[in-house]
Amino acid sequence: MAVCVAVIAKENYPLYIRSIPTENELKFHYTVHTSLDVVDEKISAMGKALVDQRELYLGLLYPTEDYKVYGYVTNSKVKFVMVVDSSNTALRDNEIRSMFRKLHNSYTDVMCNPFYNPGDCIHSRAFDNMVTSMMMQVC
Amino acid sequence: MSVPDYMQCAEDHQTLLVVVQPVGIVPEENFFRIYKRISTVSQINVRDSQRVLYIRYRHHYPPENNEWGDFQTHRKVVGLIIITDCSSAKDWPQTFEKFHLQKEIYGSTLYDSRLFVFGLQEEVAEQPRTDVAFYPSYDECETVEKRIEDFIESLFIVLESKRLDRATDKSGDKIPLLCVPFEKKDFVGLDTDSRHYKKRCQGRMRKHVGDLCLQAGMLQDSLVHYHMAVELLRSVNDFLWLGAALEGLCSASVIYHYPGGTGGKAGARRAQGSSLPTEASNRHRPGAQEVLIDPGALTSNGINADTSAEIGRAKNCLGPEDIIDKYKEAISYYSKYKNAGVIELEACVKAVRVLAIQKRSMEASEFLQNAVYINLRQLSEEEKIQRYSILSELYERIGFHRKSAFFKRVAAMQCVAPSISEPGWRACYKLLLETLPGYSLSLDPKDFSKGTHKGWAAVQMRLLHELVYASRRMGNPALSVRHLSFLLQTMLDFLSDQEKKDVTQSLENYTSKCPGTMQFITLPEGLRLPPVPFTKLPILFPLDAASLFSQGEFLTHCKPNAQINRFINCKDRYFQWVQGDVCEVQLMVYNPMPFELRVENMGLLTAGVEFESLPAALSLPAESGLYPVTLVGVPQTTGQITINGYHTSVFGVFSDCLLDNLPGLKTNGCAVEVIPALPRLQISTSLPRSAHTLQPSSGDDISTSVSVQLYNGETQQLVIKLENIGTEPLEKLEVTAKTVNSKEKLYGEFLSWKLEDTLSQFPLKPGKIATFNVNIKVKLDFSCQENLLQDLSDDGISISGLPLSSPFRQIVKPRVDSKPINATESGKVGDFSHVKTLEAILNFKYSGGPGHADGYYRNLSLGLHVEVEPSVFFTHVSTLPATSTRQCHLLLDVFNSTEHELTVSAKNNEDLVLHAGECQR
Repeated sequence: MAVCVAVIAKENYPLYIRSIPTENELKFHYTVHTSLDVVDEKISAMGKALVDQRELYLGLLYPTEDYKVYGYVTNSKVKFVMVVDSSNTALRDNEIRSMFRKLHNSYTDVMCNPFYNPGDCIHSRAFDNMVTSMMMQVC
Repeated sequence: MSVPDYMQCAEDHQTLLVVVQPVGIVPEENFFRIYKRISTVSQINVRDSQRVLYIRYRHHYPPENNEWGDFQTHRKVVGLIIITDCSSAKDWPQTFEKFHLQKEIYGSTLYDSRLFVFGLQEEVAEQPRTDVAFYPSYDECETVEKRIEDFIESLFIVLESKRLDRATDKSGDKIPLLCVPFEKKDFVGLDTDSRHYKKRCQGRMRKHVGDLCLQAGMLQDSLVHYHMAVELLRSVNDFLWLGAALEGLCSASVIYHYPGGTGGKAGARRAQGSSLPTEASNRHRPGAQEVLIDPGALTSNGINADTSAEIGRAKNCLGPEDIIDKYKEAISYYSKYKNAGVIELEACVKAVRVLAIQKRSMEASEFLQNAVYINLRQLSEEEKIQRYSILSELYERIGFHRKSAFFKRVAAMQCVAPSISEPGWRACYKLLLETLPGYSLSLDPKDFSKGTHKGWAAVQMRLLHELVYASRRMGNPALSVRHLSFLLQTMLDFLSDQEKKDVTQSLENYTSKCPGTMQFITLPEGLRLPPVPFTKLPILFPLDAASLFSQGEFLTHCKPNAQINRFINCKDRYFQWVQGDVCEVQLMVYNPMPFELRVENMGLLTAGVEFESLPAALSLPAESGLYPVTLVGVPQTTGQITINGYHTSVFGVFSDCLLDNLPGLKTNGCAVEVIPALPRLQISTSLPRSAHTLQPSSGDDISTSVSVQLYNGETQQLVIKLENIGTEPLEKLEVTAKTVNSKEKLYGEFLSWKLEDTLSQFPLKPGKIATFNVNIKVKLDFSCQENLLQDLSDDGISISGLPLSSPFRQIVKPRVDSKPINATESGKVGDFSHVKTLEAILNFKYSGGPGHADGYYRNLSLGLHVEVEPSVFFTHVSTLPATSTRQCHLLLDVFNSTEHELTVSAKNNEDLVLHAGECQR
């Protein structure tokens, strides 16, 4: 389903990034990295007034030839970016939204781990499994 | 139309295109000097009107682009200036011929042309021509600007006549159909009399007039024309031209709204334009009267001219929002035509520039995204580079730095694409450098030492690798060594073990040719690359300054013989270094690499005092733990010395690591005072060295300690040889002794000596030896041994009245009648529970030479460890009734545990001689 899932820290460095075609991982690094421009822009466009009730889901960041990039930003400015194959037209906005919500929940669990230092790379098996399940879901 | 001009912006629609070209052999430098002068005349206030004419100069313009001149008149080459070099009059006809040839290339569209001849005097020309100017040399051509102005005015006259011509022949005559090159064959055999066709002709012409008006500086009129053109063309579904009309409308509105310009080329040209809106109403009046189309303009020759013009403008001019909508619409129309790809691309670029000014980055990025996908014909490599660079620049402008960096990197890669025969590594490197900010990477390692790494390591690493590779291919090994060291230093945490190996391997390869230095590398572009010290290879164990001093472990640990006491009460450990003596600093380091790390030439960096550092080489095992390193050096003068770092050479890279740059180390070095030279003593004794080290309870450092085993009561002489191993004569010596661990009761004087004997040998010259004798005498109390008392009570005889412990007290007064025994005999007695130890410290305080004059002393301590064994044992005690009931005989079984004969003497002077190992009653 998703071909690449990334968690990006507030300071815009990756906490977690995984993609399915592992042989061309760097390409996704670039895709996700450049998508941060759009995320930044969207966050700044939202303004300060709406911080409380703002929508965490940012929607489609940008489409490329082969992929669609979606974004989500938590209240602590941690960003989730998901790259989805654009040939997969069956995927609705709502499904993406629920996937992000799942991701967010799992991330919250990671943060609750007393042995996890915020800002470190995520090495959590539970989180890994959740991402795998999101990537594996039948298309 | 095949070559897109990526630099286009909306204002270009109002410019007249003039091509400046050299003919014949014109030195490039001279051509561009003239070209520059010509280019300064980019804006002309046409005489007797307030209209402003803008000129766009090009020194290169593809003629096929010229063919689209009818579509958008700013693409039309209207003026041609030829610059030529003509050394002799003979060449003149030939040169003139060339001028005409050149003119024919753009002939169809040219309004006027000029020829500038350099190197000839005017006499050559048979009759003066207005379109030829002669200048003797490139330096003497003051009138160039004036001539250009005249030239532009002549262009204006043609333009104005064309405009009036087109604008007025409204309905009567048949309007010719303007078309773009690829349309021509589509219209063959079309019914030219149909209403549809007529409307199309009208619409296109109207749009064309709009273009001309815009060029002629009549913005208001052009807006009106564009509006009408849009109406006409929409009704006939002439999409390509509809798009052009919409774009024209947008351009005119942009020019109106953003007089500062959207191209970002800040300069004289736009500065003057800022006054444009204020004079706009006056300026456009003349045109409006002539066109007579706009209903508002129709009445505008009355008193209410101003208001009507205002109304007209408000109606015709697009608002900022509308501009974007119209651009979108125009682009969507363009995209219907495959052949109009360039037009579409340029429209996208123009729209992005407008959006960048409006600060609407999101929409701009959509336009850019679209522009990326516009597929032109097969591009040459150079065009690809240009395209990626301009995309990068546009992304930069809308604040998408990462995207910008991405495209710049792609452009850089394109420079060295395998298909290019001569890869431009230099250009590639330059472009790569420009991407650094986009990846939030700076090449100063200091930015990284301040706290944790920030940024996208995977991408940054890739970029650094590319920089290394590009600089290597550029033939600048020093640069690649610098980048590679930077990569290793800053990205160490992110490199896998295999990568670490690879990186160091290649670093060693490079440094074998060009060792890394600590100098700044200055690039031709003016960038300065700071040196990269390897503070992580090896890593210094972080400690803060306070603990350094109190633990004496890290930096401040000095050789005891380098340490002197200056009678100063200092909370911290106070010490000084002596001039001319070897001083040590101990560091704790560890190796983070998965392989053995060879550190060469490691030494101290100091400031203040002349210091001769003696470099050390060490080899740290893979992933070593803390590893102590001792760095030594000799201070050559006296004064305050500050240790502020160390230098190393790892993998052929020299680095100076300053302590204040190290992460986690909150010190900027420590200061030590260096005092004048002092003599130095080395102690050797007649006794073997002890494995024991005394607890330094007193805070003294014990340089050596010796041990001896003695029987109780024994006396031994300890011969201490004092050798002056320093370079200064020894003048003064004081000795003190201190007993430690003295829980035992000690009788008599433990250590005694006669200093005078030794002092008589003074002053002690360097290399000389003095001897010093110390007598060790042990007298200890060995009473109260439980098992004996047990025996006593077993006898069942009351010995009341006698304190139990008293019988053993002082009964035995062993006297050593043998010569001092050899200490190797110690340890024979297995029962160590009887062994007691005495420890003492002999302190030698000595001085001499220049240091003595300043009141400095050296302190040297000798630890003395004495094991004392009892010499006799009372193996059995019993009592026998004596003649009187008040008395009894006390029978003691005495065992001589020594190997010597000894005499036991009691109060009644009965001497008992005991032989070694003997037991008597």
